[in-house]
Amino acid sequence: MAQQKKGPVFAIFFCQQLDARQDINRRCLEKEFGSHIRFFPIPCSGRIEPLHLLKAIESGADMAYLLTCGEGDCRYGEGNIRAKKRVNYAQGLIEEIGLERKRIVLISKKIDAPVSIDILVREAIAGNDMLPIQWNGHNLQVDD
Amino acid sequence: MITAERKPITEIEAMLNPFRRILVVGCGTCVAECAAGGEKEVALLSSALRMDARLKGRKIEVGEVTIDRQCVYEFINELTGFVDHYDAILSLGCGAGVQAVAGLFPKMPVLPGLNTKFIGETKETGLWIENCRACGDCKLGYFAGVCPLTRCAKGLLNGPCGGSKNGVCETNPDTPCAWQMIIDRLEGRGQIDLLQTIFPPVDWSKYEGKGPRKIEREDQRSGS
Amino acid sequence: MEVESNLKKVLMNGHFAVTAECGPPKGADPDVIQKKGNILKGYVDSVNVTDNQTGVVRLCSLAACAILKREGLDPVLQMVTRDRNRIALQSDVLGASALGIRNILCLSGDHQSFGNQREAKGVFDIDSIQLIQTVRSMRDEGKVIGGDVLIQPPDLFIGTTENPFADPFQYRVLRLEKKIMAGAEFIQTQCIYNIARFKEWMKQVQDRGIDKKVYILGGITPMKSASMAQYMNTKVAGMDIPDHMIMRMKSVAAKNQREEGIKIAIETIEVLKEIKGIQGIHIMAIEWEEIVPRLVEEAGLYPRPAV
Ligand code: SF4
Ligand code: SF4
Repeated sequence: MAQQKKGPVFAIFFCQQLDARQDINRRCLEKEFGSHIRFFPIPCSGRIEPLHLLKAIESGADMAYLLTCGEGDCRYGEGNIRAKKRVNYAQGLIEEIGLERKRIVLISKKIDAPVSIDILVREAIAGNDMLPIQWNGHNLQVDD
Repeated sequence: MITAERKPITEIEAMLNPFRRILVVGCGTCVAECAAGGEKEVALLSSALRMDARLKGRKIEVGEVTIDRQCVYEFINELTGFVDHYDAILSLGCGAGVQAVAGLFPKMPVLPGLNTKFIGETKETGLWIENCRACGDCKLGYFAGVCPLTRCAKGLLNGPCGGSKNGVCETNPDTPCAWQMIIDRLEGRGQIDLLQTIFPPVDWSKYEGKGPRKIEREDQRSGS
Repeated sequence: MEVESNLKKVLMNGHFAVTAECGPPKGADPDVIQKKGNILKGYVDSVNVTDNQTGVVRLCSLAACAILKREGLDPVLQMVTRDRNRIALQSDVLGASALGIRNILCLSGDHQSFGNQREAKGVFDIDSIQLIQTVRSMRDEGKVIGGDVLIQPPDLFIGTTENPFADPFQYRVLRLEKKIMAGAEFIQTQCIYNIARFKEWMKQVQDRGIDKKVYILGGITPMKSASMAQYMNTKVAGMDIPDHMIMRMKSVAAKNQREEGIKIAIETIEVLKEIKGIQGIHIMAIEWEEIVPRLVEEAGLYPRPAV
């Protein structure tokens, strides 16, 4: 059902504390975008590792998003602050190899009203102006 | 521990340029503690290198392995056979690790992925500070447990220079003045008089006497 | 002919001594030093020659001292431990003595990261106190570090610096005492602007009887402008210029600031003359040697005693 055959592939890491109806909310997006979207729930955004973000891009995502609660909202304390620094580090690393920093995006949302990741992700995707990564003719899989 | 930092990718990439099959070898001890060369960093760098090659239209194969200690033969030996598949090793060990691996596989180009920095302490998470130069003749007992050779920018052994101000070093406002620390500690113990003896010049022969140093312990050696 | 340190004679005869600093050029031209020497000649008892100050490469102190000596001045060889190991330092001490240089000022030196050779390896094989001790033992016992005997010991009047404005304040006097224990015979202090703190320090010096064991010369640097004052206060290691001093410089029109700086310097000299235990002044007029004669004259310190 992948309607957007040529568009970028999105990897969405999200904090499970964010949206109680996450499973339902993400399912409709998965239906719509098919293989162009992939969700990775994490128990707290503080658990994100730069490696997760890099691996997502390496295995085909053109954009990697991390959805966290707002600063000060973290149930486990400083998870989202740590997440921000990790995102920064990963951004630095992809920049070193010549990719744009903004292929990794941190979206942190103040939880004052119920949040729906469906809406958050749609907003993010609508705001995206990055094209798929030009891998210089190589397939995603190295054929050795 | 020995601390290190990853080299810039461009530098690593230039070193690896002639090779197609690369084995990235991490070390699970010091450089893992300082988040430069452990298993995680091996995975991260390998991923970056693969993507980098793809972006540049090059084909490479990057293998990943992390051993417990890159500076001890028994552990490096685990790589025997395994390395034959590769054209080069990118070591994420400290300088000693790189050399030990290169020593065991003399035919294989072994390249350093890290810049080895210093012997240090994990001061806070994500903050490492240098506090020993391995002078070979530890003097910490005289200096309230603060090494002036290392932590004073001028290595002064007889008190602070004229640039010590507000507790920080004249060379760098981010660094505490070692002598302020020493004096504060000794004063707290009522032992400031310890500093009134003139400390003689350092015996640097214990540091760089006749080139590289070694420790030989008969009781530890096998054979007769 | 026996050469003697003029500075030592002036001090031993109880005169209020005047020394000045001369910075060697960033080049090989001996005339620059000759010229500076001739400006100072007759107005000061001795001339300090800085040793690659702030880590900037300049004509070497030893050569500049030799040139000044030839011009009939009494040079003070400044020697920092930053650039040379103990072999080179001791060898230069012997060379200086052989050239008729009779005063040495032992320092550790500004850190190399300040200068124009920031990638240099700082040597710091020994520190300033160890250097004082070394020169003293070379002179008095005829021995180098390690105990080897010299055929002829060097003849040098040994000094060092002290910065009463650095921290930790409570330890500064103890450190001065340590320098004297090591063998220092005269002290030149950091530039004095904060007179209150200087007096406090001198009181500690007197209380411990240190002024009886060593000659202390107070440091004077005339400020050229309010901006120089501000720059020195924030950028130069170990400087302490109180706000009221900076305000005073700022309060006069830019074109009169030099005059104000000179006035302040002369007032400070007058204060120093009255402090018990101060036996002279050391003028560090940075790239402004030509002002020294006027300062000396107006402070009533001219002519200099013939000893
Ligand atoms: S005195 Fe020597 S061994 Fe001891 S901490 Fe300092 S450099 Fe290390
Ligand atoms: S300020 Fe302190 S740490 Fe820095 S060089 Fe001087 S004495 Fe050493």
